[in-house]
Amino acid sequence: MSTHGRAAEESTFVRTYTLTRGRTRPRHLLGLATVLDAGPGRLGPAQAEECEEILALCRERRRSVVELAGRLGRPVTAVKVLVSDLLDAEALVVPLTHPYADTGAESGPSTQLLAALSAGLKRKWPDAIAYPQAG
Amino acid sequence: MPSPTPRPDDPAAVLRTSPRPHADAAPTVLKIVIAGGFGAGKTTAVGAVSEITPLSTEEYLTEASADVDSLAGIEAKRTTTVAFDFGRLSLPDAPVPLELFLFGMPGQDRFVDLWYDLSRGAVGTVVLVDTRRMESSFTPVSFFEDIGLPFVVAVNQFDGAHRYQPEQVRTALELPASVPVVTCDARDPNHVAGVLLTLVGHAVKNASASRVHHAPTTTFQDA
Repeated sequence: MSTHGRAAEESTFVRTYTLTRGRTRPRHLLGLATVLDAGPGRLGPAQAEECEEILALCRERRRSVVELAGRLGRPVTAVKVLVSDLLDAEALVVPLTHPYADTGAESGPSTQLLAALSAGLKRKWPDAIAYPQAG
Repeated sequence: MPSPTPRPDDPAAVLRTSPRPHADAAPTVLKIVIAGGFGAGKTTAVGAVSEITPLSTEEYLTEASADVDSLAGIEAKRTTTVAFDFGRLSLPDAPVPLELFLFGMPGQDRFVDLWYDLSRGAVGTVVLVDTRRMESSFTPVSFFEDIGLPFVVAVNQFDGAHRYQPEQVRTALELPASVPVVTCDARDPNHVAGVLLTLVGHAVKNASASRVHHAPTTTFQDA
């Protein structure tokens, strides 16, 4: 996503530019729901303070890109740029997910995974309202 | 004095003691979108089942502005900030470890790029309806119909608002009989969990239906 022209005049955009040192595109392929884990690498000396915050959050537990952006109060794109730096330094890693069939982003989750979700929700909320199914 | 047994929350201990290679693997993430007009109760619904206080997350969107400099052939673009809600819950007791991400999607159709982002790979969508502002539900409903993402309509029963029957809402929104329409109190976790379960059931039906009915149609068109 590019930030050009008039928009850059606005102070929030300028702050974000400063944070990412002018970069508007992340170097790594990151989705909103991409989950990150703390890795063995260390931060370089000249990293933004926000990188420390990201690392501290991911040391507590795995966090998604969208959650990091929400907790830092920074736009998702800016956080993706910083996360890319941290991936390069191996301070963050993309953890392996459980090896269950991921049918690919376009087609949506498999019926098997949906059945697991349904069972998990019912176990968590045994008193959930049972609505009649349409169709 | 060292404790006799390793603490279960010590990741290193888990790795050392676990015989299963994927024991420390991240749970599978599933997404559900909660859509609806301004004030329909999206944040409330996300918060009712989320394990964290819903986070308001910002993203930049570049949108073509209304004034286009046709002489120069360059579209004037304007970057705006759009906010959406995020919540999550883990389902460690599911047959496989799952984490459910909930996205509260802003209702205005100029954010359609974000709608695509949020919808990609999602289980489906709950369209929350405030019957006092029924018209704000039309755009999300037609968007999800167009992209073919399973959705259910949940009528949020606001205190003091006229109680419509689900069938009245179905007629008003011109929904086919296959789309579930339910009423709920977005503040109540058992209601919201029930709506999510309705959506998951609907998504399963959709998945099997598209496999049975749509696949041969495609073949005929290709031939």
